[in-house]
Amino acid sequence: MLQIAASPPADFRFLSLIASGMERRMDRMTGELAARGARDELVGMLIAVSNGDRGAFATLYQRTAAKLYGICLRLLSNEAEAQDVLQEAYVTVWRKAHRFDPSKASPITWLAVLARNLAIDRLRRRSLPLEDLEAAANVEAGDPSAFSILTEAEDAERLRRCLEALDGRAQSVIRAAFLDGASYPELADRAGVPLGTMKSWIRRGLQRLRRCLEQ
Amino acid sequence: MTDKGPLDDPALDLAAEYALGVLSGEDLRRARDLERTNDSFRAEVARWTGRLSPLLTEVGEVPAPVAVWRTIEERIGPAASNDNLIELSRRVARWRAIAGGMTAVAASLAAVLFLTLPPGEPAAPPTRHSTTAPMVAILGGQDTGTKVMASWDPGAQQLVLAVSGDLKGDSGHSHELWVIPRGGKPSSLGTMPTGKQMHMRLAETLARLLENGATIAISVEPRGGSPTGIPTGPVIASGALSQA
Repeated sequence: MLQIAASPPADFRFLSLIASGMERRMDRMTGELAARGARDELVGMLIAVSNGDRGAFATLYQRTAAKLYGICLRLLSNEAEAQDVLQEAYVTVWRKAHRFDPSKASPITWLAVLARNLAIDRLRRRSLPLEDLEAAANVEAGDPSAFSILTEAEDAERLRRCLEALDGRAQSVIRAAFLDGASYPELADRAGVPLGTMKSWIRRGLQRLRRCLEQ
Repeated sequence: MTDKGPLDDPALDLAAEYALGVLSGEDLRRARDLERTNDSFRAEVARWTGRLSPLLTEVGEVPAPVAVWRTIEERIGPAASNDNLIELSRRVARWRAIAGGMTAVAASLAAVLFLTLPPGEPAAPPTRHSTTAPMVAILGGQDTGTKVMASWDPGAQQLVLAVSGDLKGDSGHSHELWVIPRGGKPSSLGTMPTGKQMHMRLAETLARLLENGATIAISVEPRGGSPTGIPTGPVIASGALSQA
């Protein structure tokens, strides 16, 4: 007892080290809990929306529209078109919320992929001749019913590591394709290489990416 | 009608390229055709979408102009003042859809509802705004044939469920019942016992969540119920509570 009382500074340093470590862990846990809480609420909203609950739909929109608009804007680089696609995305959510399966995707990823699919679809239609446009109108786009991703943070971290393991060229073209919506001809044009070269860069890059992600 | 066989290498490449979004022209058309007609192709596209979608977390948020929401509201149907009408027509449509298989069940449930009313007053119309008026929800699955009728008696805090057809599932899974208040989080009402008709007495804290407009849903969960406290499996049926 005496000894402990005699050496408070060392103990305090030690204790405060533990305390700051605990604080960091608590912060992380609080963050994770908050993220899970937000996600749980979105799951509830999507189920209610599938049931025609307009109030839940309005709240869902308030919570998620900025994220989806950011994605549409990034892909389309045009405000009017991005707003158009955003609209399309939420009308699709209203009609197809029952396709959301909480065992396959987190709600925000499901919504983000839905918006991206519609935006990519819009991008590709820009270059179609009129008769193809009509044909394309009959194709149902933007329905991400079947893809599977659950553990956001982990999956994001693994994808980041695997992308970084690719050579810089493959990494940047894959990112540009997914996030900017660049097509093969556009990517080849930007890089100043023949179309065939770009295709083999991307195909090889994707194959290596898949092997890395499946390890 | 759809192909299920394994994909050859060019088709595997095409699925990855399609998910990445780089295709255009003839290749894009071919990928879309395959997506429609070939299950293996569709599954491969889904796998790639899952692999790449974490990239979307990198994109920053941008507030959307107010006008967008107004247009969405217009497009999804009449404005809020007509809500009751829409709700009514939805309910009528749902009732019609289940009329066939549910007649017997509905009759027995109607009996239950009447039995729970105070004796001597069965003919009195329920008070519209009374919090003790019984409520019903018809739980339909959009992609399944499952129909469940839930009736809630707030006075007795008793929930009665009547199942029409079979609830999809197996011995390795449980069906879990949820209540989702308007704009709130799902709360578990517990896993469902098997059988065609079930009675559950709810604790006060849960009973408070079963208000007019709340959603009742059933999800498929691991045996014993959701490990996380929210639905983790597919929702096979859901419906909104409204006063009977």
